[in-house]
Amino acid sequence: MAEPLLQLDGVVAGYGRGDILRGLDLALEDGTVTCLVGPNGAGKSTVLKVLSGLLSARQGRVVFAGDDVTRLSPAQLLGRGIVHVAQDRSLFPLMTVWDNLLMGGHVLSDRALVRRRADAIAERFELVRERRDERAGELSGGQQKLVEIARALMLEPKLILLDEPTMGLDPKARHLIFELVGEVNEEGRTVLLVEQNARAGLAIAHHGAVLDTGRVALTGRGSELLEDPRVAELYLGGAAAA
Amino acid sequence: MHQVIQAVILGLLIGGVYALMASGLTLVFGIMRVINVAQGALVILAAYLSYALFSHAHVDPFLSVLIVTPAMFVLGVLVQIVFVRSLRGDDAEELSLLVTWALALGIEGVLSVIFKTTYRATSPSYADKTLTVFGYQVQFVRLMAFVGSAALLLVLSLLLTRTKFGRAVRATVQNPTAATLLGVDANRVQTLSFGLGVSMAAAAGAVYGVIYPFNPGSHYDLISRLLSIVVLGGLGSLGGAVVAALVMGVTEAVVAVEWQPTWASFSYFIVLIVVLLIRPQGIFGVRERAL
Ligand SMILES: Nc1ncnc2c1ncn2[C@@H]1O[C@H](COP(=O)(O)OP(=O)(O)OP(=O)(O)O)[C@@H](O)[C@H]1O
Ligand SMILES: [Mg+2]
Repeated sequence: MAEPLLQLDGVVAGYGRGDILRGLDLALEDGTVTCLVGPNGAGKSTVLKVLSGLLSARQGRVVFAGDDVTRLSPAQLLGRGIVHVAQDRSLFPLMTVWDNLLMGGHVLSDRALVRRRADAIAERFELVRERRDERAGELSGGQQKLVEIARALMLEPKLILLDEPTMGLDPKARHLIFELVGEVNEEGRTVLLVEQNARAGLAIAHHGAVLDTGRVALTGRGSELLEDPRVAELYLGGAAAA
Repeated sequence: MHQVIQAVILGLLIGGVYALMASGLTLVFGIMRVINVAQGALVILAAYLSYALFSHAHVDPFLSVLIVTPAMFVLGVLVQIVFVRSLRGDDAEELSLLVTWALALGIEGVLSVIFKTTYRATSPSYADKTLTVFGYQVQFVRLMAFVGSAALLLVLSLLLTRTKFGRAVRATVQNPTAATLLGVDANRVQTLSFGLGVSMAAAAGAVYGVIYPFNPGSHYDLISRLLSIVVLGGLGSLGGAVVAALVMGVTEAVVAVEWQPTWASFSYFIVLIVVLLIRPQGIFGVRERAL
């Protein structure tokens, strides 16, 4: 791998007393999609929270585009080009779709630029164009996820962290989201995707990493991991394949 | 009938001022889940500041709003940074009740030392002037207080709906984590909003002393009214607080003239209890966060 866009070295992080991540190493190659899989509670979301500054690492280092960003605030990390689309629904339900988009540009001080970007996003997403003045809470689950990702694009990020974007969606909505992930990646954005549905996630990813008890247990090309018997046994059996 | 309409007018005018005080309380609750039980004491503090400006510097009480409000905004910001922000953890909401109640008692104590406990009233030359509109009596100062309160509530609602800061405030109310992930500085939003909430108490308080006599202990009665207003309106709902304040003002005024003044304040609590039995979340309250 060439100089990675993002590198985590021995990251330790957690909530309260216990540590959830216990010396995690991970590198993301620029311009690729990496899928992070692992059992419930393994700490996948916790990795993303550390990367977006929601949770600070207790030990270890996060290096992004050559700079140490371990101690930066969420706003500063957004400025560097890292956006995080959280696992829970994260639109502001009583605000319009349009206002939600504008919130996506909150850290930009140039209002005209925010407006231009929002216009461009409305141009690109029919959903945004058509439901612009509706309250975001009135959209379906799949539509909300699409708007969340669209909102994340307001900052034209280098790295997008997507936490189980297809959770709870029907196959059609899931397909739309995966398609969008592919498009976003083709624009040159690096994606770190957490997927409950490991089979589908690994299938669209260049690289995969398996998280187990706070460490990366296995890494490899997405397709390799799909075929790896250990992975298959752990995560691609019964529940995950459903 | 004439008497009832007269009472309704009076109730609406008073309700408008209460709406302003309650707006600050409900705003702060919506943003940081803090029930600022010092809101009543802050109103009384502002009433004394305005009283002092009037009696020592001959500043008109309605003009003193322009001095008292910014000064108390700064006070609110400091209180938030020093006392409220440091409360963290699972019981932060309960602790904030104790802290703001301590603040209320502190303010009461200081005011008692400086001004004693005698009742005061700010009485400008026009204090007793009444206007007659279509045969109804309207006390000039109450009309002014109402118009001023309505104007400030309008400014507050425009601030929340039309500005970038307001958008960030609403975002924080609706989903604090998502707001943080988009770069909203939660501390800054909370501090400024607390200051804003105190400003609303300040503006209302500066004219309160023209309408009612007050002493340092007046905040007990005030806070119980304000709390019941925000509960009736739905905690966190600005529109709900306004409606509930008007309902309170009108109920009290009508009961006072039609029945007995002694039952007036009690009547509102009956309305409150009945509404809460039917709608536990208040008139405009939603079970989720809203603003
Ligand atoms: N805010 C929190 N406070 C305390 N513990 C937490 C918190 N968030 C997560 N945890 C705990 O940390 C561990 C890892 O959680 P995390 O959300 O990172 O797991 P995950 O791999 O994303 O799981 P899932 O597949 O269910 O989303 C879990 O045991 C969880 O209970
Ligand atoms: Mg998770």
